[in-house]
Amino acid sequence: MNNIIGSRTPIDDALAKATGEATYTADIKLANMCYGKLILSTIAFGKVKSINYTEALKIEGVIDVLTYKDFPNIKYNSALRFKDHGILKTETVISETVRFVGDRIGLVIAESLAIAEKALKLIEVEYEEYKPVFDEEEAATSSIQLHEGLNNKVGTISTGADAETVADLISKADFIIEDKIKIPMVNHVSLETYSVIGEYRSKKITVYASTQNSFAVRVLISDVFNMPLNKVRVIQPTLGGAFGGKLEVVTELVAAGAAMKVKRPVKIVLSRKESMIASRTRNGATIDVKSGVNKDGTIVATDFKILINTGAYVGSGMNVIGAMSHKLLKAYKYPLRYTGSPVVTNTPIAGAMRGYGSPQAFLGMNLHIDKIAMTLGVDPVELNMKHIVDKNEVDILAFGNPELKACVTRGKELFDWESKKKEISKFNKKNQDFIRGIGFGIGAHGAGVYPAHQDCVNLLLRLNEDGSFNYWSASHDMGNGSLTAQKMIMSEVLTTDVEDIEATQVNTETCPWNLGDYASRGVFVEGQGAYKLADAMKNLILETSVLKFKVHKEALSIKDKKVWLDDKPLGSFGDIAVYAQTTLQKELSVLVDHHSIAGRTSYGAHFAEVEINRENGAVKVLDYVAVHDSGTIINRYGIEGQLEGGIHMGIGYALSEKMTFDEKGNLLENNLKKYQIFKSNEMPEIKVDFIETGDNGGPFGAKSISECATVPSAQTIINAVANAIGEHTNTIPISKEEILNIINK
Amino acid sequence: MKDCRLKINGKNYNVQVEDKWTLLYVLREVLGLMGTKEGCGTSDCGACKVLVDGKAMNSCTLLALKLEGKAITTIEGLGSSDKPHPIQEAFVEAGAVQCGFCTPGMIISTKALLDQNSNPSEEEIREGLSKNLCRCTGYVKIIDAVQLAAKKVKELK
Repeated sequence: MNNIIGSRTPIDDALAKATGEATYTADIKLANMCYGKLILSTIAFGKVKSINYTEALKIEGVIDVLTYKDFPNIKYNSALRFKDHGILKTETVISETVRFVGDRIGLVIAESLAIAEKALKLIEVEYEEYKPVFDEEEAATSSIQLHEGLNNKVGTISTGADAETVADLISKADFIIEDKIKIPMVNHVSLETYSVIGEYRSKKITVYASTQNSFAVRVLISDVFNMPLNKVRVIQPTLGGAFGGKLEVVTELVAAGAAMKVKRPVKIVLSRKESMIASRTRNGATIDVKSGVNKDGTIVATDFKILINTGAYVGSGMNVIGAMSHKLLKAYKYPLRYTGSPVVTNTPIAGAMRGYGSPQAFLGMNLHIDKIAMTLGVDPVELNMKHIVDKNEVDILAFGNPELKACVTRGKELFDWESKKKEISKFNKKNQDFIRGIGFGIGAHGAGVYPAHQDCVNLLLRLNEDGSFNYWSASHDMGNGSLTAQKMIMSEVLTTDVEDIEATQVNTETCPWNLGDYASRGVFVEGQGAYKLADAMKNLILETSVLKFKVHKEALSIKDKKVWLDDKPLGSFGDIAVYAQTTLQKELSVLVDHHSIAGRTSYGAHFAEVEINRENGAVKVLDYVAVHDSGTIINRYGIEGQLEGGIHMGIGYALSEKMTFDEKGNLLENNLKKYQIFKSNEMPEIKVDFIETGDNGGPFGAKSISECATVPSAQTIINAVANAIGEHTNTIPISKEEILNIINK
Repeated sequence: MKDCRLKINGKNYNVQVEDKWTLLYVLREVLGLMGTKEGCGTSDCGACKVLVDGKAMNSCTLLALKLEGKAITTIEGLGSSDKPHPIQEAFVEAGAVQCGFCTPGMIISTKALLDQNSNPSEEEIREGLSKNLCRCTGYVKIIDAVQLAAKKVKELK
């Protein structure tokens, strides 16, 4: 071993980012570039009657104002993953019918951003208004119809135990416990807002975009503008965070179409408010969950029903419901039935966000089970342990080797759960001003797309004359370090340093085809591809050495970037590359493909202690422990960083983050003052640990972390608050007012 | 448009600006200094922080015309990848950089903090960075980085 796997390695572009030298999409300036500002709907539902932009055009420096008449009226689904992906198409590039406050109705193009902003203010839009519907429950049965020929409740997926068995088991149980849980939409709040540049030159479109899904963007541009795929190039500059929010096409088609119209590069960078209303969100949800429980503390069956708010267009709706449908079944081993439906409403479009349905599903289940534990007067950790999956117990092809129980056991120990229980009870008896509570939550999420659809990657590696390597992978590193992990995997196999491998950023014209970066596939799928790639390169180096040194391949090995015959170095990798160029007249490069043939699930168990101010209801998180089973750890910095960030997101989900709307459909939390993510002085100390048994199918036994990191966290905090105040609130985030109401009952 | 004389990273610039243009707009759109990022435009996230006479300030709400005569330092003024500042090195070494969009602003706030207090406690670091939002790290490794930076800066003195 080269001791790279499991080390603490900074992300490969850390220095470029720390010095301000990294180039994000918004940092790019092309020659003759102009600037676009979107005209967004100010009403929730209606039809654009007229757009008056006469005054805007009078401003010096305004180039054009484009509306729906300037773009193809072709429907698409922004969540498309690959050519002919059969998902419902409901969206158009620019709309005549608007379905939420923030729907795109046009674009102002000007010589500078300042002029475009000035012109935007002068544009007057007249609408024919319709009555909107905002809540998923209401929309599911409402007579208001958002899309012609489509039910608001788009479809339903059921999985798990059959309905009759579950109903029968529940009816025969000692108690029936039911919960209704409301979860609001939330926002990714990537610090980099959605940014794009469209360029049209010599009948070819180039789009620079803050995207996680370049090849799918290429397909959509080709489909909508009827362009051959080889005349569409998508480039992903440095990404300033994504969390799933940059998976779907948002402004790429607008920029491409605008560039074709004005024959100049057009840059569109969304403001924070625009990014919050007009990109993507995490689905709000209404959960109805019912369990039959026996006196001995056995949950005999659970009927879990969920409606998710997918926003104004179908987008990812069915996909999120589908992905969610089997997550609970990977964590619980007793009869459980899942039924889920996406519902369209007149709110911003929902899409992928870290966990893709898992956070809502596990939040609902964990709250419900915690409430059952409270009702029975039993320890919630023990109650969960009776019902969650065992190691090697489940379908090995679909799940792999779950170490969830080991996570719970280790976490309980690290958190000192039993002592904390006693300390808290003592504290709460003595203290008049504060109440403390402890909480627990679990979560699971997949590694890769299997079995939803094909999950494959193609990768290319070249050995240079000095022994360094160039690596082409259309792997979108969002700051999560997937490229760094892939380089570490290859370095381990090739006995090089990580710095010896230079990775390109995604460019659909130069990189081999890949799916987008979603489903936590950066290590498990792309990383395994990188392993195969490095192994193929190693083989090529050895085979070339056989020709150069006239020795048997079996006697050769590689170490320290050299080829060895037993314990004697024969030559450096660079020597072999030069030999190939000069004598064999070729370069040493390999192209491999890899596809995932099995699903693996990552697990986590979280524990938290909170303190509540009796006077104002404020919650302070005092202590936090998280233990995850992500298989073998590739980069310890990477996995810790992902987990710590995921916890931050979950704490916000529990206590402060929400997207709510006024009666006209305007987002109330439309800036980062009102939409509150946790600050450095509000975060607790976080302790993280890992069960490193490993699993097969991924590189060196690795699975995934990125999405799973956030899945158990919100419910951990909510359950800790419930433990403190003696009652669960069924609406999140928990407000100070609700806490005070419960305390003062 | 009005004449505006700005001193940025020790260099004098004469630029033509409008009354409402912010320092951030001038840095990015006029001067092409792209290291300073825009995360919110409402002074809530700290991604655009620069030093103004040594104080960390959000350049997205500072009017350029009001900054004549002040010494402005942006992330480019601290160091480069060929010659990074010890704080920049510390952020890299501590694993504090993920997406990196908040990083220039975090480093500017760290500079201001360490200039005031060369040996901050964890609590003082958390307070010192409380005007800078990060969505990736939970701030854990950023706090480690500031502690490491304090050590590095002290060793240099």
